Amino acid sequence: MSVAAQAPPADERVGKPGVLDRLVVRPEIGSLLGALLVFLFFSVVTEQFLSPGGVATWLDDASTLGIMAVAVSLLMIGGEFDLSAGVMTASTALVTAILSTQLGWNVWLALLVSLLFALGVGALNGWLVMRTGLPSFIVTLGTFLALQGLNLGITRAVTGTVQVSGMRSTDGYSSAGFLFASTFTFGGTSFYISIVWWILFTVVASTVLVRTRFGNWIFAVGGSALSSRAVGVPVMRTKIFLFMTTAFAAWLVGSINILRFTSVQANQGIGLEFQFIIAAVIGGCLLTGGFGSAVGAAIGALIFGMARQGIVYANWNSDWFQLFLGVMLLSAVLVNNALRRRAERVRR
Amino acid sequence: MTAGADDPVLAHPGQDVGPDDLGQPLLRMTGIVKEFPGVRALDGVELSVLPGEVHCLLGQNGAGKSTLIKVLAGAHRPDHGEILWRGEPAVLASPVAALRLGIATMYQELDLVPGLSVAENVFLGHERSRFGFSRRGAARAEAAALMRRLGHAEIPPEREVGLLSAAGQQLVSMARALAHDARLIVMDEPTAALASDEVDNLFRIVGELAADGVSVVYISHRLEEIRRIGSRVTVLKDGRTVASGLPAGTPTGELVNLMSGRQVSTVFPVREESAADERVEVLKVEGLTRAGEFADVSFTVHAGEVLGIAGLVGAGRSEILETVFGARRPDAGTVSVDGVRLKPGSVSAAVKAGIGLAPEERKSQGLLLDLPVAHNVTLASLGTYSTAGFTDRAREMADSRAVLEKLELRPADPRRLVGTFSGGNQQKAVVARWLVRGCRVLLLDEPTRGVDVGARAELYRLVHELAADGVAVVLVSSEVPEVLGLADRVLVLREGEVLADRPAAELTEADVLDIVMEGSAATELAGVAEEASS
Repeated sequence: MSVAAQAPPADERVGKPGVLDRLVVRPEIGSLLGALLVFLFFSVVTEQFLSPGGVATWLDDASTLGIMAVAVSLLMIGGEFDLSAGVMTASTALVTAILSTQLGWNVWLALLVSLLFALGVGALNGWLVMRTGLPSFIVTLGTFLALQGLNLGITRAVTGTVQVSGMRSTDGYSSAGFLFASTFTFGGTSFYISIVWWILFTVVASTVLVRTRFGNWIFAVGGSALSSRAVGVPVMRTKIFLFMTTAFAAWLVGSINILRFTSVQANQGIGLEFQFIIAAVIGGCLLTGGFGSAVGAAIGALIFGMARQGIVYANWNSDWFQLFLGVMLLSAVLVNNALRRRAERVRR
Repeated sequence: MTAGADDPVLAHPGQDVGPDDLGQPLLRMTGIVKEFPGVRALDGVELSVLPGEVHCLLGQNGAGKSTLIKVLAGAHRPDHGEILWRGEPAVLASPVAALRLGIATMYQELDLVPGLSVAENVFLGHERSRFGFSRRGAARAEAAALMRRLGHAEIPPEREVGLLSAAGQQLVSMARALAHDARLIVMDEPTAALASDEVDNLFRIVGELAADGVSVVYISHRLEEIRRIGSRVTVLKDGRTVASGLPAGTPTGELVNLMSGRQVSTVFPVREESAADERVEVLKVEGLTRAGEFADVSFTVHAGEVLGIAGLVGAGRSEILETVFGARRPDAGTVSVDGVRLKPGSVSAAVKAGIGLAPEERKSQGLLLDLPVAHNVTLASLGTYSTAGFTDRAREMADSRAVLEKLELRPADPRRLVGTFSGGNQQKAVVARWLVRGCRVLLLDEPTRGVDVGARAELYRLVHELAADGVAVVLVSSEVPEVLGLADRVLVLREGEVLADRPAAELTEADVLDIVMEGSAATELAGVAEEASS
């Protein structure tokens, strides 16, 4: 921000706060501190963590989670939840896999249909929430359960098992795989391309959020839908679009997964929705909406990836991961809360 | 824009524009009717606003001011009537439509988005953008220019609105109105939340806006403000315009007479004589003080007496009741029931001593809407209905049924959910709760708010019956005729101060309004009383 270089204010009561105070009101500050701590900790405790291969691993771990967390953060800033987001990553993968392995479709066509399916579910979520006025928590809980059942039911009906595999031999696998699941070499180490998708998605989401009119509307509808409507913000359209964005992200992650692992379990993705929300909250999103950051959510996902892999490198039992996660979540929220209070005091 | 070029002297725009040389009005509303179920909130209102004038809207609570400004803001569609905007018929179909037309409304509860910055709020809904990308620089510069024009250049446009003071948020709301190029700004009691130096700034801004040709519809209960900045005054009563285009300098007595004498469609039940028993002092309040809310409030309520408290919203009426009830801790002063001093700031002590409160926010503070009436009625006396923690449901039902029948609550079905009852019956359920407990003192805060006219009469009768049973009643109401009609004695409050404590029979509606609005009672009272009687 380049607004600091202006004439000094006449009234010091409401004067410009210092650099520290302005930094401190950024929503992602808590996650940034946390990421730094986790990074330093595992860098010191383990050797592999900082090795190129180690970095590639935890970045990859963070990438798919990060794509979802960023989309979910936009939705949360807009004042809504999507509990179906985790299962959606499996549903989209299943649609692609069934169409191409069972019906012999070209992978690209299957991907397109899968995308339309995802956008349709997202739009349905948003429309139901806006139309009924029910909390999105309940509406998407319903979609979550319904999709979970569909995933299992259809998969078993079509394949007789609870998984779909054999993507490798389908038409268009190599070109689609190149886009979604290839690796590239950087400084002698190979990295998954999902990391690029993650960064790209974060940059686009963050730009939209802070640089565009639509981004302004996201904050506005989450902060106060009534006030926004009164000045002409299209509240319904904005929120439905956000649900569709989350569904789009789920399609992207589902596509990355199915093309990389070439098979998908029908019960995949369950429980991930809370990880997305946790990463978004660590990144500074408020559960009440109207406040948060896409970059923060990406950093929240990064913390996840670093900790999950760091614990492996440190040869600890991965049972401890959840404990770590809980402590991390609580401290990030407490830090965010304390900083925000401080910011409010400074402003008075 | 030449604002700020001249000395910021308080302008009195339009005062030289007498009612005789009317130009074409900017806004002309005629015959506006708006009905809600059971109430005709607006019954043929006329309002005509000239370009560049500060037009004040006066009227008691319930006179229809809020409904009128909601019609102006596009939040309510009128059932009948015509709106001419710059001479052309206009339909205010939605808030956005009104805004597009050039009518901006500043409600008391400002409708800003707290998480957005000043600039983002100012341009919300009509963002400065190019190809969807916000032109943040342009928006900030324009917002900064607007804040400068409003005399508050020190509020940076990138500051989050939720972190501003009430006055600051009001300025943002005003900047938004200007950004929409509003020709008419409606301000609903804008000074209610402001300190006195901020009030001066607001008046300066209003004066400058008017000088720039922007019209302001200004709502306030404070006559001195209207004298200071108003051009003309329109007075509403019972949803009708009783006077329009009066000069702002119209004498207080005249304005008060226009506002009072409301036809209260309900007849107050006549009491043969007061049930007050002067020998039994039930509630005694001495020197009760809470900083910033009310100071040195003392009164006594005898058995069977109804004490009315009149005053504007914000004068400290509800705060006094809540402090007596122990929900707020007094800074000084005592509350005694039957000569026993209560532990300050303790609701349970107050309830044990026999005080009951029917709060102003009946739905959120008084009732559990999703539970049956019976559970609501026994809520304050569950101890007497339970043995070893188990509730005696049969007795609960039987007693509830009895009290519902006594209060004529309809339908008298104790199993029905309270939320499904009408406002008047809900209020009775709250009162029933304290009757079941056998209370000595009943505090009623706006008991008839949201209660339709027919049910009001029943509530009035109920108050008299309670008094006849020896209960000491304290009644707070914004409706002066209600206070005068029900109470034996009336306290008049203004800004947390008791200005009068007199028998209701000695006060007229005009007296009370005068004290409440101007506080010049001591000098003008006699004159007003004469005018009123002549």
